Amino acid sequence: MKQALIIALFALFTALLPLIIGEENPYIIGIMISVLMMAALSSAWNIIGGFAGQFSFGHAAYFGAGAYTTLILISSFELNPLIGAAAGMVVAALIALVTGSIVFGLRGHYFALASIAVAEIIRLSVLNFEFTGGAQGILLANVTLWGLDLNSKNPFYYGMLLLLIVTLTVTEYLRKSKTGYYLQAIREDQDAASSLGINLALYKNRALLISALLTSIAGSLYALYIRFIDTSAVLDLRLSIEIILTAIIGGVGTLWGPVLGALLLVPLAEALRSNMIGDALVKFGLVSETSSVGIFLNENLAHAHVLVYGIITVLCILYLPKGILGLFRRVK
Amino acid sequence: MSEPILKINKVSKHFGGNIAVSDVTFAVEKNRIFGLIGPNGAGKTTLFNCMTGFVPITSGEVIFNYRKINNLRPDAVCRIGMVRTWQRVKPLSSLSVLDNVMVGAFAITGSAGAARKIAVEKLAQVGLSDYSAKLAGSLSIGLKKKLELARVLATRPKMLLLDEICGGLNHTETASILQLIRDVREEGTTILFIEHDMKAVTSICERIVVLNSGVKLAEGTPSEITSNPEVIAAYLGGGFDA
Repeated sequence: MKQALIIALFALFTALLPLIIGEENPYIIGIMISVLMMAALSSAWNIIGGFAGQFSFGHAAYFGAGAYTTLILISSFELNPLIGAAAGMVVAALIALVTGSIVFGLRGHYFALASIAVAEIIRLSVLNFEFTGGAQGILLANVTLWGLDLNSKNPFYYGMLLLLIVTLTVTEYLRKSKTGYYLQAIREDQDAASSLGINLALYKNRALLISALLTSIAGSLYALYIRFIDTSAVLDLRLSIEIILTAIIGGVGTLWGPVLGALLLVPLAEALRSNMIGDALVKFGLVSETSSVGIFLNENLAHAHVLVYGIITVLCILYLPKGILGLFRRVK
Repeated sequence: MSEPILKINKVSKHFGGNIAVSDVTFAVEKNRIFGLIGPNGAGKTTLFNCMTGFVPITSGEVIFNYRKINNLRPDAVCRIGMVRTWQRVKPLSSLSVLDNVMVGAFAITGSAGAARKIAVEKLAQVGLSDYSAKLAGSLSIGLKKKLELARVLATRPKMLLLDEICGGLNHTETASILQLIRDVREEGTTILFIEHDMKAVTSICERIVVLNSGVKLAEGTPSEITSNPEVIAAYLGGGFDA
């Protein structure tokens, strides 16, 4: 009951946030969109990675499938963005089913390896095909949908929020259903699972498919929001890894872990990237801007967010194997 | 003699040049408690793996309920009613005891409510009700064995394959598991029982097959088996000319 109240207040706050912040602060809304997107992506990954225990290192492929399909269909055929997003889901589903049906017959780390291989094949293909814009990527000047102002950030804020809510609802529904129990049984012990009547390949494929579809929607939203995509933005291995780290740091295999991970990591990465931390140290007089330390921080802190992710992950694995959410659970 | 529910027909299993099971034939009648015994490395567990689809059979056939099941996957074997437990217990460690048994129950229902009801019932039957909310990984070995039993019972099996379900247990625990097995048989389930401990086997089984080095050495009632000189030699070691 208390928990439901907290969630309701949190949801209300999130829904009203753009009104509180207002249009004159697009930077903050932009960061919030990134938080919601990473929360949705990480939650979607959690279905196959956290519940079924099948670590996909190639979720960028599904994200990129959504992003590229949507923008290509709009820029080349002037189709409705929704048709583009639907087509993106079909492409993502095909990638998931082909990967899954080949690899899920095997046990162990094959799926993790194959997911990287598939994602890299797709990235390199997109980089070399002409219709995908190659290395230049795709730029979309304008896009309209039902008279919504898609130059404003708010529609994408609510779009990502809706996607996150859908993803969490799907996760919660799965968790309480036969499929969710079966996925967790597969994660815990595949031999025990199959001896109890669980068709391993079928349930892994099902989880991967659901995860890929949700990830592809995030890709489509992102593409429509940024309107410029290239392989380094939407198909990079770095994106796949950020999705995983967010889930691990927040709490893998839990409903709220990935959301918590995104809430902590995305603003942290942003603060490092925009040198906010270095500026703050200077502002409070801890470090002089012209001193060697100040210059060093100014030059290097912006690139440090990947390093910080790495350090936090190592600390989490060592001291909080159940993620930050596990810390709260232990206290309770 | 009632009809057999399981027929093992000239089954062999070779791992490369290593012959683990060689030309083994026997049949288990419906609603029996049937024992499969033999010294270490006799091929008992390999035979279980062959029967339940975990390893492919080199030659021969396994017929369950009039159906040849050589090429079925483990999950399909479970769905047609033959379910095994594991010599090294395989609890779903980070799930609760109740959730573990619910996973079993989902083999016969799609509804979480129905699965929970079956699980509660089976936990009560094996005496684990007090541990429902505990994590399966935190149980002692004796309780884990009971959990394995509850979990397979929740699939409503026609036939249970129990792989050393009493291994590592003390006398009281063994006695209570043996009583459970008798109860399960009363409900109409056929039981094939691998056991190391001769005393446990002879006290519960109506018929016993003895394997030694992958070969069937003898078959008979417990008293026939315990007085068979070849079996005694196999258990006490060769070169025992009495």
